[in-house]
Amino acid sequence: MSDRKCETLPPFRRGSWDGGEIFTRMGAGGIGGKAAGLLLLQQEFLPRLDRDEFPELRISLPRSVVIGTSMFEAFMDLNDLWELVRGNPSDQRIADAFMRAHLPPELVGDLRDLISQVHAPLAVRSSSLLEDDLDHPFAGVYSTKMIPNNQPDTDSRFRCLDEAIRFVYATTFFASARDYFRATGLDHRQERMAILIQEMVGNRHGDRLYPEISGVCRSFNYYPSGAARPTDGVVNLALGLGRQIVDGGLSWGYCPVYPTTPPPFNDLGDRMYNTQKKFWAVNMGTPPPPDPMGETEFLVECDLLQAEEDGTLDRSVSTYDAGSDRLRLGMVGKGPRILDYGPMLVGDTLPVNTFLRQAIPLAERTMGCPVEMEFAMDKGPDGADRFCLLQLRPMAIPRGESKITAVEMNEPDLILASERALGHGVKEGIRDVVFVKPETFDFSRSQQVAQEVDALNRELHKQGRPYILIGFGRWGSSDPWLGIPVYWGQIHGAAVIVEAPLGPAGPDPSQGAHFFHNLIAEGTFYLTIQGRGTDRIDWDWLQSRPVVSSGRHTCHVQLETPLQVRVDGLAGFGLVRQEDER
Amino acid sequence: MSQQEKFNAFASAQAEFDRVADMMNLDQGSRQLLRQPQREYHFSIPVKMDNGTVEVFQGYRIQHNDSRGPCKGGIRFHPQETADTVRALSMWMTWKCAVVDLPLGGGKGGVVCDPHHLSPKEQENLCRGWVRQVFSNVGPVRDIPAPDVMTSSQHMLWMLDEFEALSGGHYPGTITGKPVGMGGSKGRTEATGYGVVYTIREALKELDLLPEKTLASVQGFGNVAQYAIELYHRMGGRTVCVSCWDQERGEAVTFRKADGVDLEELRAMADPFGGIDRTQAMEKGYEILPGDAWLSQEVDILIPAALENQIRLDNVNEISTRVRIIAEGANGPTSPQADAMLKDKGIFVIPDILANAGGVTCSYFEQVQSNMNYFWEKGEVLSKLDVKMTAAYYDVSNLARRQDLAMRDAAYLLAINRVASACRDRGWV
Repeated sequence: MSDRKCETLPPFRRGSWDGGEIFTRMGAGGIGGKAAGLLLLQQEFLPRLDRDEFPELRISLPRSVVIGTSMFEAFMDLNDLWELVRGNPSDQRIADAFMRAHLPPELVGDLRDLISQVHAPLAVRSSSLLEDDLDHPFAGVYSTKMIPNNQPDTDSRFRCLDEAIRFVYATTFFASARDYFRATGLDHRQERMAILIQEMVGNRHGDRLYPEISGVCRSFNYYPSGAARPTDGVVNLALGLGRQIVDGGLSWGYCPVYPTTPPPFNDLGDRMYNTQKKFWAVNMGTPPPPDPMGETEFLVECDLLQAEEDGTLDRSVSTYDAGSDRLRLGMVGKGPRILDYGPMLVGDTLPVNTFLRQAIPLAERTMGCPVEMEFAMDKGPDGADRFCLLQLRPMAIPRGESKITAVEMNEPDLILASERALGHGVKEGIRDVVFVKPETFDFSRSQQVAQEVDALNRELHKQGRPYILIGFGRWGSSDPWLGIPVYWGQIHGAAVIVEAPLGPAGPDPSQGAHFFHNLIAEGTFYLTIQGRGTDRIDWDWLQSRPVVSSGRHTCHVQLETPLQVRVDGLAGFGLVRQEDER
Repeated sequence: MSQQEKFNAFASAQAEFDRVADMMNLDQGSRQLLRQPQREYHFSIPVKMDNGTVEVFQGYRIQHNDSRGPCKGGIRFHPQETADTVRALSMWMTWKCAVVDLPLGGGKGGVVCDPHHLSPKEQENLCRGWVRQVFSNVGPVRDIPAPDVMTSSQHMLWMLDEFEALSGGHYPGTITGKPVGMGGSKGRTEATGYGVVYTIREALKELDLLPEKTLASVQGFGNVAQYAIELYHRMGGRTVCVSCWDQERGEAVTFRKADGVDLEELRAMADPFGGIDRTQAMEKGYEILPGDAWLSQEVDILIPAALENQIRLDNVNEISTRVRIIAEGANGPTSPQADAMLKDKGIFVIPDILANAGGVTCSYFEQVQSNMNYFWEKGEVLSKLDVKMTAAYYDVSNLARRQDLAMRDAAYLLAINRVASACRDRGWV
C-alpha cells in the first residue's frame, strides 16, 4: 500500500488551498503509509459510503498535502546528512544537524505559498515508506508535530512549518527508530520519509484548539470483554487530540456492537478512576519557549474542568449523582463528570456509533485486512458536526506466528493452556515465573500474597526481566476473598498474567477486568484457566524448576530454557511452552 | 567604427522605453521624466597608488528613478565604462525592480578602471574614494549599491566600512552583496540562477510540459548558469549542453553530453570564472563543439546566461524547432530583431528583466535583513524568492494573455506602468 507514488495525486497548486483539490502533493517519489491510507479513504472508502444515511454528520477528510519521498532524499543529499546518520549518532546530534539543515529550494516556495494561505493549526505527520507495513506496524516510531500556525506574520508560520518538517525528518533516524529496525530485522537504509501536512480538526476555545471527540476504531479486538467477540472490533473515544488514545492514555473503549456496555470496571469508583481526566489541545495562546525538537512543543494538556468551561462536554459525559450513587446522562447538576460518552452511546444523541458500525467493515473490505481508523469531530463553520476521517491503516499485527489450532492445545508438552486468553501475538525469551503456591494458598491470606508479589515484581522490574505471574482468583480484586488485591503498579512487570482456579467452588474469573485498560496499553497477555476443555497448568513441572526465592505464599523460579507464550486473539487460545521444544 | 560606437546602450534603452510608452499612451510628463535619469553624479576619484603616484579615476553614480523606493543597482569597475552605459543600466534596474514589485528604484554606478591592474590596496583606496564622493547621496534610505562587473563582496565591505566611518554608525543596509556573516544574505549566491528556473518552472506549467521530460542547453557556466542548471536538474530536467569562455584560446567553447551533463563533474573542472577545462571534459566523455553550438541544440529550453546580444538576426534561425522556451539569464542576450523572429517561431521568451530578477530580489532581502540586523535561514530566503518570482511571473504572464502581448512587452509595460503610477501618485507628474 505504502509504495504508492506521488503521481497518483494532483500537484499542489499555489493559491488554491481553500478552493482546490482536498488532497495534493509536492515533490515526487513515494507518499508513505499514512498518506496512502488517506488516499484509500478518499478514492475507495468514501465513494462506497452512503453519506446520506448520516445527515447529522458531515463526513469528510481534512485538507491535506503530502511531500513525496523525493524531497526527503533531496534534503538528505543537499545537506550531506547521510554520512552523519550512518554513524548512529545521538538524537541530540541528529537534531542539531537537522535544525541547521535547510529544505530543498524546489520545495520551499510551495510551502511558503501554503502557509501564506492557511492560518489554522496544522499536523505535520510522518508517512514513511515502511510505516504501516502489514507485518511491521510503525505506530509511535516516528513523530507527528502539531503547530498552531496562528502567528500573524507569514514568516513566523513558515519557520514553524519548516522546523516541524525537519523535525519529522530527524525522527527517521532517532535511536527509537533505529532500535525498532534492529528489532524487526528491517533495513533502515531502505527507509524514506514522506510528510503528510493536514489541517487540524478542532475548534478554538480560548487559547486551546481541540476536537470535541477523537477516536480510533479497530476492526479486530484482541481484548474482548463480556459478550463481545474479537471480530466485533473496538472503538476508543477521547476528548481532545487523538494523541490521548494513540499514546495509551485513558480513553473510553467499547465494542461498537454493544455500545451501551461499559468496559469491565469493578464498580462506579473504578469507572470514575479509569476514565479520561485530562486532554490534549493545541496551544493557541502565548508561544511556549522554543523547542523545535519537542513533539509536544505547541501542545498543552488541559484539565476536564476547562472543557466544561468550553462547553464541549455536553454530548460526552455522564454526571455522578452522589445522592443516588448513580450516573446520570449528560451535564446534570454539579457532580463529577465521567467521560463515558453516555449521551451519545446510550442516549443516542449523535449517530457516531451507527456510522462506525458501517464504516469499520467497509474500511476492512477496502483494505483487505483488519484495519485501524482514526477520526475526529468538531463543529464546522455552519455549526454542523464535522466528522473527519484522519487515517486508515492496516491493524498492528504483532510479530510471530500466533495462530493456535485445537490440536496444538492438546499437545502434551504444554506447560499451560487457556481457552480464554486476551491479547494476540508471541512473547519469547521469558525465563522467570512467579507463582502463588497452590498447596498453601487460602483467600484469607491474599493480602500477604499481594505484598510478596509486589516485592518480587519490584525486583524483576528493576532487573528488566519480564515474567509470567500465576495466581488464584481475580487478580486486582478489591475483595480479598475473591482474589489477590494487587493494584497495577504491583504487578506491572509481568508480561503474562495467569488467573488459575482454586477448585470448582472458587470465585468467577475476572478475565482481566480489573486491569483492562493497563493490559491493552501494555500489551500484556491475560490467560484465564477455568478448568474447561484443554485448560490446564502443569504444576509439577513448574514446582520442579530451580527456585530463586521462595516465600511463604509465593515462589520465583528461573529457567535455563526460555519460555514462549503464544496467544491467538481470534480463537481466544493461549499456551506456554519451552522455546526449544519445537 | 568600434563595437562601442556602434551600440549606444542608453539610446537602446530609451528606444525600448519609447516603444512601450507609445503602447500604453504614456502622458508626456511621465515620458519625459522616465526617459532620463533623475540624478547623475560624475566625479573624479584621486587614488594614491602603491608606487607613490596619484591617479585620478572617473566615477559615476546615476539614479534613474526613486519613486517606488531607494535606488538599487550595482557598481561596475570597467575600463570601457561610459556614462551612457551606466544610464542605461540604471534605467533597466528601475524596470527590473518594478517588474518583481520591489519597493525600490533603479540606480547604477561605475568607475572607469581595470581592476586587474590594481593591487588590493589600490582597489581599497578606489572603493573608499568612490564612497567619499557620493557619501551624502547614497545609503539605506537613498541608494543602495551592490557588486556588479568586476566588483566583489570584498569591494562592498570596503565601501560599507568607509560609509560607516563617515556616518559614525553601523548601517549594513547601505550596500548589498556582502559576505554571509558580514551582513550578507544566505541564498544570495543561488538567487539569480534559481530565479531563472522558478520562471522556467511556471512557463513549463503554462505550456503543459513536465520538467522531467525536457532538455536544456545553457550558454555560460558562471554563477547564474551553474545555479540555474542545479535547480533545473533538481526539478528533473536534463541539461545536454553548456558553453563557456576559453580564456586560454580566447574563444567560446561548447561542451555536449547527449545523456545529460553532470553538474558536479563540470564544476570540478571549472575555474573560478566558469571556464571549463577542455582536456578534462574530453576525458569525461564530453563532445567539444564551437562556442555558438549551444544555440542549435535539439532541446526544449535555451538559457542564455552569459553575455548580451547573443541571439541575433544572423543566428536566430539556427535555433531548433524543438525549442519552446528561452529564459534570459543574462542581460539583453536577444537583439530586438531576433526577438521579433522568436515571436514568429512561437518560442516563449522569458525576458531578462523578469528571468534574472532573482538577484536583485535577494539583494532587496539582504537589505531588509541588514536594516533590521536579523538574518533569515536559507530556506526562508529561498522560499520568499520563489514566491516573489512566481508572483512576478504570473503578473507578467496574465498581462501578456489579457492584452495578447509578448512576455517582454508585458514585462516592460507592467514595470513602466508601476513606476509611472508611483510618479503620478507622488504628484510629480
